[in-house]
Amino acid sequence: MATHAPVSDEIFPKHSTKTYALAELVRGESAQVGKGPEDTVFAFPIVLLWEGVLLLGATLAIFLFSLLKQAPLEEIANPFVTTDPAKAPWYFIGLQELLEHMHPLLAGVIIPGVLVVFLILLPYLDHARADVGVWFGSARGKRVVTGTAVYTALMMIAYIVLDNAFSLRELLRDTAPQWIAQGVLPGGILALIVALPALVLRLQNATRREVMLALFTVMFVSAIVFTVSGFLFRGPGFKLYVPWQMPGGYNPWDGL
Amino acid sequence: MTRSSLAAQVTASRMWRSFFRHGMPDNPFDRSLAMTSNIFFHLHSVKVSRSSLRWSYSFGLGILSAILFGALVWTGILLMFYYVPSIERAYPTMKELQLVVPLGQFTRNMHRWSAHAMVLLVILHMARVFYTGAYKSPREFNWIIGVVLLLLTLGASFTGYLLPWDQLAYWAITVGTNIASYAPLAGPTMREMLLGGSEVGQSALLRFYTLHIAVLPMLIALLVALHIWRVRKDGGLAVNDRE
Repeated sequence: MATHAPVSDEIFPKHSTKTYALAELVRGESAQVGKGPEDTVFAFPIVLLWEGVLLLGATLAIFLFSLLKQAPLEEIANPFVTTDPAKAPWYFIGLQELLEHMHPLLAGVIIPGVLVVFLILLPYLDHARADVGVWFGSARGKRVVTGTAVYTALMMIAYIVLDNAFSLRELLRDTAPQWIAQGVLPGGILALIVALPALVLRLQNATRREVMLALFTVMFVSAIVFTVSGFLFRGPGFKLYVPWQMPGGYNPWDGL
Repeated sequence: MTRSSLAAQVTASRMWRSFFRHGMPDNPFDRSLAMTSNIFFHLHSVKVSRSSLRWSYSFGLGILSAILFGALVWTGILLMFYYVPSIERAYPTMKELQLVVPLGQFTRNMHRWSAHAMVLLVILHMARVFYTGAYKSPREFNWIIGVVLLLLTLGASFTGYLLPWDQLAYWAITVGTNIASYAPLAGPTMREMLLGGSEVGQSALLRFYTLHIAVLPMLIALLVALHIWRVRKDGGLAVNDRE
């Protein structure tokens, strides 16, 4: 009995010098094409367990926070009594802060419009796939992001503080028309702040991806600076104060 | 009857088999079927790479945003049982929720803090996707859906902001909608369409309410489904495409 060859060898006698593999021809690409030995696991149950853990964790966090902090409810709405300060919700307060420094058309329409268009076009402006799936792309990319973040934070804080101390609106009230003092000038200053890191990177032969990293970081960090300034540092009359010395017992956190 | 034979009998029953079209998911075939034969699970891939499960890559920000959206729908529906979108009744119903309704204040807290957290997490999710280069081909379209979802999330939060009809709500919406009116030509018309008048009043409250409880959540739910399904179609998380 043991001397017989296995049945499969009788049906398909193997050539002694060749090696065999089971293969299939497929059209197009799948997620795993060209990935070498696959390092995958079945989504069931690990992904569902992870999602369950996140569901419970997130609910618990919101649950505990809701026990500690009450949602605010002020007096009934009264169109005849303006609150001081009157602030937009926190995610729009960056725009409100911007409105303090320039013409409403620029701050309320053009800049947010440009940002949304920039976000939508981003994948088409930068399509090299070299460093997909890696945080900041490379060590150099990481340095670009850190550098731009520090630069933007300093420039935008300086812009808010300086424009607050020496307001372009007031300085040029009688010498220049509004569209220059409130439009071209602040717009030009901001454009310069945004363009500078991109120019520096271009001179250093940076890749398109690195320029995009810089531009996105300028946008992201500016949004944070303007939001924090509007939310925490603006008090009655929408004037700048340090958060712990707000006049009239105003607490910015009450308006969350 | 032993426990295992009872389980076997239940899973072999006509009723069970009409619910679940796969066997015990302890083998590759049934584990695949468990994902593909369930409408919610089928948005996921059947198999995922180990690197895409790494916490420090995605921080779970997308899933967390979706979870918060679920929490918002849940608590929002509870609040809808009491809330009346009229300028006479809105504020008193808020007071009732606070003082009379069992767990009313707590439900409202959950809704408000989840809303703020969702806006924050959606923004962070976008930053994560950008900084990992995950918006590049073939994921451009899903990035755009994501940008639209960010705008819808802001819209959902903003429309909800007016509903308590207190001073905070009224003046935040007045300031917010004033920004919209600066757009040349269409600005004032857009503001009037949104408010149903020149000022924040009854029409504005009703419009914001309808947008908040029906239009925007439905759009978000639809696009979130498309967004997650598209992640699978584009080959899972971008970390799989690492060179």
